[in-house]
Amino acid sequence: MDSAMKEKINKRAEVINAMKKELIKRLNLPYKPEDMHEDISLFGAGLGLDSLDALEVVLCVEHCFGIKIPENNVSILRSINTLVDYVIEQKKNLEVSA
Amino acid sequence: MRILPLHDMLEAKGASFEERYGAQIVSTVSDLKKEYSLIRDGVGITDFSFMQKFRISGDSGVDVLDRLFAGNVAKIRFCRVLHTFLADERGQLVADAYVANNDEEFIVLCESVVDDTTLKKIFNGHSVLQSDETGTAKLEDITNSHVVFGIDGYNAWKVVKDLFGADVLGLPYLSVETYSFEGGPVLLFRAGKTSEFGYLVMAPKENGRKLMEALIAEAEKHGGGLCGTNIHHAMRLEGRFFNIFAEGSRVRDPLPLGLQWMIDFDKESFLGRDSILQRREKGLENKIIGIKVNAADGDLLVGDPIFDNGNKIATVEAACFSHVLNAYVGLALFPVDIAYAGLQFNLRNADGPNVETISMPPIIPKSLSVKLDEM
Repeated sequence: MDSAMKEKINKRAEVINAMKKELIKRLNLPYKPEDMHEDISLFGAGLGLDSLDALEVVLCVEHCFGIKIPENNVSILRSINTLVDYVIEQKKNLEVSA
Repeated sequence: MRILPLHDMLEAKGASFEERYGAQIVSTVSDLKKEYSLIRDGVGITDFSFMQKFRISGDSGVDVLDRLFAGNVAKIRFCRVLHTFLADERGQLVADAYVANNDEEFIVLCESVVDDTTLKKIFNGHSVLQSDETGTAKLEDITNSHVVFGIDGYNAWKVVKDLFGADVLGLPYLSVETYSFEGGPVLLFRAGKTSEFGYLVMAPKENGRKLMEALIAEAEKHGGGLCGTNIHHAMRLEGRFFNIFAEGSRVRDPLPLGLQWMIDFDKESFLGRDSILQRREKGLENKIIGIKVNAADGDLLVGDPIFDNGNKIATVEAACFSHVLNAYVGLALFPVDIAYAGLQFNLRNADGPNVETISMPPIIPKSLSVKLDEM
């Protein structure tokens, strides 16, 4: 594994781990972080969250990463991985504009 | 082989058939691209009668099912459906199942990788029913006496609304309700795996022909028609729904497949529990993640190896062509330390086409833009 790939993995793993821990805490989920596959669906089958939980997910991202999720957010809130993609992209945008 | 009750009718409508684990299935009805469009833009009607179906009644029926399935059957609320799995003693997947709490009984719909006889042996074996202390659980195999049809697609809700009434719009995902059709009861599950709106309707096979005709007639009003089961492989993969007939039949271990959400780890017993818990304790070595190959770079086949700097690191376990993305998407089993989205590797050999690991699900279905509860 080259160093660029290692760096990419480390950055992503950091966001994933923080996100999972916060989701478990806020939503009182009966899982360990390693039980939660990143592609697991947040709503419906999968974690089975409802519209009230959606608000907690939005607050979780805001609290953990200081990033706001827009109101029209169905594409972002599909899975942990799609949430992580959004966070990484927003962090990158913030770095560029800083 | 168990023949579909509507075989002749479906054949007359152009269906092609094949055998899967001792049961006949409709593989295709027209070309896959057309069936794909039916579901993504209209509605597809699919014969899912190959599913194994059971009715469990009696006071202790819930305990019997709880000792079989990985999920917590005892916690299923009235009129709700649990999506879970059945494993064998080694904790290897046997069936993907919907368990529905329906009034005084439970209904189980299985998609399994074993034939009817073997599955029934698992249900009856392990002395599950015999060991039931109260002896009041009654298991009835209704596989041959009932049909199950899938209604999936952007307009699926219009078809069920026209047939069963406007209150179907209030059904939450993973719920079940009884309706009437031609004077007989039908059971409607809100439980699709295409990421568009989805329903399964179960009826006594005597009503099957009329129900299928009515479903097709309604579907045609809304840009739909008859589909085979093959197109559901692509739909499930694009929506990142677990498919026991694709990655599930190759990997069989629920943990690398990411099916922990189907398991209640606090339950004292279910088939395969000890093996699954031991593997969980040990930690995962591999896990399945999404991959993509652009159409211009070539195709993607199940079994293809994936290389990193000349070393084989992963294998493709499921694949399909995504018409939405104009790319092949798939699932591959990677070592956990590199099982992350956003990485680039080579397919088939060290200098092979580029394959990218991706976040799943990779598409945004049209149905996400429709809010049924606001209609």
